[in-house]
Amino acid sequence: MEKMTRVSTVSGHTMFCHLDAPANAISVCRDATQVVVAGRNIFKIYGLEEDGFTERLNLRVGRKPSLNFSCADVMWHQMEENLLATAATNGAVVTWNLARSCRNKQEQLFTEHKRTVNKVCFHPTEVYMLLSGSQDGFMKCFDLRKKESVSTFSGQSESVRDVQFSIKDYFTFAASFENGNVQLWDIRRPDRYERMFTAHTGPVFCCDWHPEDRGWLATGGRDKMVKVWDMSTNRVKEIYCVQTIASVARVKWRPERRYHLATCSMMVDHNIYVWDVRRPFIPFATFEEHKDVTTGIVWRHQHDPYYLLSGSKDSTLYQHMFKDASRPVDRANPEGLCFGLFGDLAFAAKESLMSGPSSAGDVGRKTYPGGDRRYPIFFFKKPDVREQFAQVSSALSVFESEAGSSVGMDWFINTAQSYLLSGKPFAELCEHNAQVAKRLNRPQESTTWTMLRIMFSEPANPSLSSNHNLNKSGNLPLVNSFSMKEMSAALNERNKENRQDNLHSLETNLNNNDENEETEGSEGQAEYLFGDAELDDDDLYSMEHDNHAAEEPEYLLPQEAFPLRHEIMDHPSAPEPVQERPESPHVSGSETENTCLTSTESFSLISVSQLLFSPHLPPKFFCPIVKEMLCFYAEQGDVQMAVSVLIVLGDRIRKEIDELTQEHWYMSYIDLLQRFELWNVSNEVIKLSTCGPIMCLNQTSTTLHINCSNCKRPMSNKGWICDRCHQCASVCAVCHHVVKGLFVWCQGCSHGGHLEHVMEWLKQSKHCPAGCGHLCEYT
Amino acid sequence: MSIQYEAPLADSFGVADSFPKDFGYGEEEEEEDIEDNPTPSDSKPRILLMGLRRSGKSSIQKVVFHKMSPNETLFLESTNKIYKDDISSSSFVNFQIWDFPGQVDFFDPTFDYEMIFRGTGALIFVIDAQDDYVEALGRLHLTVSRAYRVNPEINFEVFIHKVDGLSDDHKIETQRDIHQRANDDLADASLEKLHLSFYLTSIYDHSIFEAFSKVVQKLLPQLPTLENLLNIFISNSGIEKAFLFDVVSKIYIATDSSPVDMQSYELCCDMIDVVIDVSCIYGLKEDGTGSAYDKESMAIIRLNNTTVLYLKEVTKFLALVCILREESFERKGLIDYNFHCFRKAIHEVFEVGVSTSRTSTQPAGTPLMKTVALNGTPRSTV
Repeated sequence: MEKMTRVSTVSGHTMFCHLDAPANAISVCRDATQVVVAGRNIFKIYGLEEDGFTERLNLRVGRKPSLNFSCADVMWHQMEENLLATAATNGAVVTWNLARSCRNKQEQLFTEHKRTVNKVCFHPTEVYMLLSGSQDGFMKCFDLRKKESVSTFSGQSESVRDVQFSIKDYFTFAASFENGNVQLWDIRRPDRYERMFTAHTGPVFCCDWHPEDRGWLATGGRDKMVKVWDMSTNRVKEIYCVQTIASVARVKWRPERRYHLATCSMMVDHNIYVWDVRRPFIPFATFEEHKDVTTGIVWRHQHDPYYLLSGSKDSTLYQHMFKDASRPVDRANPEGLCFGLFGDLAFAAKESLMSGPSSAGDVGRKTYPGGDRRYPIFFFKKPDVREQFAQVSSALSVFESEAGSSVGMDWFINTAQSYLLSGKPFAELCEHNAQVAKRLNRPQESTTWTMLRIMFSEPANPSLSSNHNLNKSGNLPLVNSFSMKEMSAALNERNKENRQDNLHSLETNLNNNDENEETEGSEGQAEYLFGDAELDDDDLYSMEHDNHAAEEPEYLLPQEAFPLRHEIMDHPSAPEPVQERPESPHVSGSETENTCLTSTESFSLISVSQLLFSPHLPPKFFCPIVKEMLCFYAEQGDVQMAVSVLIVLGDRIRKEIDELTQEHWYMSYIDLLQRFELWNVSNEVIKLSTCGPIMCLNQTSTTLHINCSNCKRPMSNKGWICDRCHQCASVCAVCHHVVKGLFVWCQGCSHGGHLEHVMEWLKQSKHCPAGCGHLCEYT
Repeated sequence: MSIQYEAPLADSFGVADSFPKDFGYGEEEEEEDIEDNPTPSDSKPRILLMGLRRSGKSSIQKVVFHKMSPNETLFLESTNKIYKDDISSSSFVNFQIWDFPGQVDFFDPTFDYEMIFRGTGALIFVIDAQDDYVEALGRLHLTVSRAYRVNPEINFEVFIHKVDGLSDDHKIETQRDIHQRANDDLADASLEKLHLSFYLTSIYDHSIFEAFSKVVQKLLPQLPTLENLLNIFISNSGIEKAFLFDVVSKIYIATDSSPVDMQSYELCCDMIDVVIDVSCIYGLKEDGTGSAYDKESMAIIRLNNTTVLYLKEVTKFLALVCILREESFERKGLIDYNFHCFRKAIHEVFEVGVSTSRTSTQPAGTPLMKTVALNGTPRSTV
């Protein structure tokens, strides 16, 4: 209780006073009534009154100011209230005794350091012991009853930036260095440090022992980090790390708050931050009063967490009240929302929100352990709920989309993998893609492809007529169907087209087997049968419109149903299994969807019939429509369609759409593909794009890091000779010949070889063929 | 940002970009075999660059002392001879940089390593942090222990190099690990007194310059004096930060005692580049003679964040670069006067150096010091 009464004597509000010159350091006396400010051109003592600072004493006396007054650091003794020590930039350590009766209060002068003294520190309990740390790399311990230092500690690692006596361990002090090290010393053993560890990259500017936790040391450095170390264990352990936005010049633990510390920076950033080390990404509180770099911070009383004093280069001295601090967390948005790749949705919010509004109030309070004891002393209007800062916890919920639901992106992957973008005549590409789209239950895309084919195919396209797939006598190539259309009803035409689509797809599926299964006639019948299976469905809805559509080939279809089944079952083992496998069992299922096809298809019907009456329209005529269509798809979010069409149409449409839009589409599509790890597809898209910036993508920073298979070192040279072991690195581990062409290797052990050899090998064994014992993984 | 040049920038000698490397003292070849007759200058303190092959020694040397852009170092051939670079003629740093080829085992009996280490001020051992460094540590131990036996006065500096490719955590971890292992090795060999300093460096930022600055500063006996002079100068002129630069290498040989912030250091380096570049273009005489950096060189750059950069020649090789606030710069007369005093003091500091080296047995040290003293005078009179 004694503590409390003492604390309650401290009161005041946020206030400041102007100094004559920039301050370098400040320190308070033990009873928190006076503060000393030291700088290059200032050395004064101010009294802390209820309503402001009052200047008590100017210690810079004498006509010709000595360099000894130019202070880099100052410390007020915590036991002896008349005793101060300063560190001068010329290497002098000066002690001052306020009890002296004359104007010059200087008591002792130690000029043992050669370079600037950066820090002085009194022992927290021992009256006469003073420690200094200097730029010259030495720390000296002074006994104030003697004229010179009693011991010298050589850090042997550059300038000392800070020295601090441990509060709990009588003999221990910590020193931080410009090369990033922190050393622990025993005051009795000046020959060698007890412990040393590298704490930061770049200089460590400050350190501070935790006032309560034995062995906790906070360090701040130029690498913009504050780290809290636990020294009590055998191995020094980093337990917390706070990332700030500028190099950390001072760090001070907040009294009575176990996890709080205050920092200020030496460059750029003028604010003082109070952090909760458990929540290192957002400051607990910020004081934004200073207009220039803050150079010194100190908590006014060692048991009072609500008053912070600070001195700055803008020549002001501030007293900050904690209740006046700004709380950045109040402005932060505590909710987050993100869509996953496969349609999952993650949502993070405060637990209180998630658990329902009724309990919202309690959650925060309940989880705050043991901080409330001290509140009754203070009569803030609002009991200090905000001290519970660190306890804000949030809940993360992930909503997974059901497999196969419409949100899923399976269609995207399938489509991306199945679409053909080049390598075949235009009409065939469209045809194929239409088929793919249809198979994946995307009638609109399918129709679009079909229409594109019709629009842009030349009426006398020789590539189609020469197509070896369409060599069936009963089959009219597409071009011919155009000519027929002129004579027959449009509906009829459409129907026939449908059939041909089906046929066509079948043929493309089968065309690899053509040679083998040339059992005369049966193949053709199988195709027709398949076509008919779909056609029947078509007929279901188009029956009313066309009765006279029946033509010879169609009549042939039903005759041989069973061979067809066989064919379908065979498909999965056909050379293109990827797109087939998931779909083939669902053939009938997908066709049930055809009922909904009607509207779009009949829409397409109209445009087709338009075409019919003006068969000689140049393809250019359609460009505006196609462009609109592409934009429509892109806006719908189906950038895949837009890009695919763009690539397939190539020159036919490219000039219609401005470069930037194209680039945008390409980039979006490539980005999507890469997220789904469809590297091959994305590469193909990049390759096929006609957009300058996109094509460049493959030319920039494509680096391949390779290891030598013998010595496992990175290969630095071009070529395949390792310059360390002078052997060829690309030897097949299976056949021991040099690999030319495709070389595949395990990224773990660097061994590999001919693709086919390795594949064969892996069928027998999981271990590396080179015998290194590695369990190779190939992706 | 505006740049104003307050004085004509030329009237002496030299060529563009312009610190003629072979300035005087014709007795040295750029590449010199170690068995050559020791020239007088061999007794100058040396900085040795050592390390395994491909650890980046030549790159460091090229980037720091020959203004090579870091990207060009990719095309450096591997060094196969000892490359001795005497930069004392163009730079304040009165040292030779010896670049040892990594693949030469110079403990071969044919090499006189006693002679190598005897006159050495600092030995920089470069370790490639991106590579496996076990081998390098072995080599470090070997080198350092041999050198220590020959000359215990050497400063041993270890550059953990190529850290640009490492994450921050990884950097510290690497440094800690290397530090630990190297010191354990030394402790096993009961060489605890031998002290290694470690630096994380990369040629892609200014860390290599900073590390080199520290190495060079350790070899300067005048450092405390210079630092104090700078402290006095800046506190009396209202300057935030001042560096004393070696112009050609952009190493700072002294700064005031406030902590060095990387951004301000980079800013000052950039300023030197700008000043030298502009003065190479406009500061030379019509016939191409004249020097880009001479007695009259000074520049003021005002930044838009109320900061002023102020550069002024101190000696032939040194420039003072300050960062100060606009309001302090209103008292330019005061700053100029203080600078005048500062410059005089610096000259006096090095005068002492001249007189002591005259009395000492170092005849080779004198020419440089004399040029410092006779700063700005035409070459012919040196």
